[in-house]
Amino acid sequence: MKKQQKTKRPPGVCIPWQEKVKELPQISGDKELVKKVWQDIDALGYVYIWQCLLSF
Amino acid sequence: MAKDMEHLYQERLKRYVTAMRNDKPDMIPIRPFVAEFTAKYAGYTCQEVAHDYEKAFAAARKCAVDFDWDAVVSNMVYVWTGLTQAIGLRYYGVPGIDIPADRGFQYIEPPEEKAFMKPDEYDQLIEDPTGFLYNVWLPRVSADVSAMGEPTSFRNNLSFLKGGMAMLTYFNAFGKQNELLRTESGTVSAIAGILKAPFDIIADKLRGYLGLVTDVLERPDKVLAACEALMPHLTHVALSGADPDKNVPIGYWMHRGCVPFFSMEHFKQFYWPTFKPIVEEIWAHGHQVLFYAEGNWDAHLDSFAELPDQAIVYHVDQGDIYKVHKALGEKFCISGGIPNWLLATGTPPEVRDYCKKVIDGVAGDGGYIMDAAAIVQNDAKVENIRAMTEFTREYGVY
Repeated sequence: MKKQQKTKRPPGVCIPWQEKVKELPQISGDKELVKKVWQDIDALGYVYIWQCLLSF
Repeated sequence: MAKDMEHLYQERLKRYVTAMRNDKPDMIPIRPFVAEFTAKYAGYTCQEVAHDYEKAFAAARKCAVDFDWDAVVSNMVYVWTGLTQAIGLRYYGVPGIDIPADRGFQYIEPPEEKAFMKPDEYDQLIEDPTGFLYNVWLPRVSADVSAMGEPTSFRNNLSFLKGGMAMLTYFNAFGKQNELLRTESGTVSAIAGILKAPFDIIADKLRGYLGLVTDVLERPDKVLAACEALMPHLTHVALSGADPDKNVPIGYWMHRGCVPFFSMEHFKQFYWPTFKPIVEEIWAHGHQVLFYAEGNWDAHLDSFAELPDQAIVYHVDQGDIYKVHKALGEKFCISGGIPNWLLATGTPPEVRDYCKKVIDGVAGDGGYIMDAAAIVQNDAKVENIRAMTEFTREYGVY
């Protein structure tokens, strides 16, 4: 999309994984699993506010 | 029996999709956007279908069983006021609380000086739309959410917990509702996902219509930048809720961005350049958009004609459906055009006559879906909805 703005919080994201991972200790297990679950649940926060704006 | 119902569903889906691709199906599909009408038909009040979504779902399914319709919206009332009350949203007139129980819910736009976004807050919105909505907008539209810097509260915390759980519960219930529509009556769920134009949403929920009228004159660069900042988010939300099978379109609800609410110059400066790319992006993903042109958007048909063939379905409310057909009929499917006033105050013979004129005028080569002009509320007479349905089935066979 030509006119897309570069925001610090992209679509679908409330707290970016890159920001969250800095708060965590060294991940000794499956880092991708932690990242995926963080992003999937974070996306629900995004859905909440944008659906409030658009649908309700 | 179940096999027959699935056969009926597939037949209707094919009919509906064929028409939406601007082709000629076996007969004209019928897809009425019936909202509070379903309550009237099923014996509920507007309060009951707004505040108890299970009753709204039941009313939609009862209509789908009793009328020979190809597709319906799973719950065209849509706004569940139990959810909006849990969040504490201030801008609703809730049936049975703020307005009489037999009236459809209302949006209440605040006066210009109490707009949910102030004129000097555009930069915050542009910089971080999601952050602005959570930090600034939500505390203003919710009676329970604390503003940034204010002490938190029991009500604040509960608003997010109850609101989030209620929203998830509601959205998950649509899966079962769509399945029941399919298995009980062979009816297709007509749309999936939601889209609004950046310019419209700024008027609807942020600056208010009057505020935006001022802004396009006093801070046009900010308005344009805000529209551009909203574009990727509105695209993302639309695609997130779209039909994975790419059969049914994303619903696009068109509000006050047209002439005469705004000038043609402003439409071309703000509205269209920040909306057209969204539709093009969505179509590039293989999804159609249903332009639900509430009011009269005839002044902008030339702009809509710029979109790729089949990218949209254009629904006619108070526009001139014959003019729309002439301008867009070669490229896009058209729906609607049967006036709500006629369905509310006319007689069945008058409804049949009107439907005949519309079918004769725009449906000859396919690419037309029968529907009322606007969302059907509880003023429509049951016998007139039945006349619209039965006449289309009798006369609308290709």
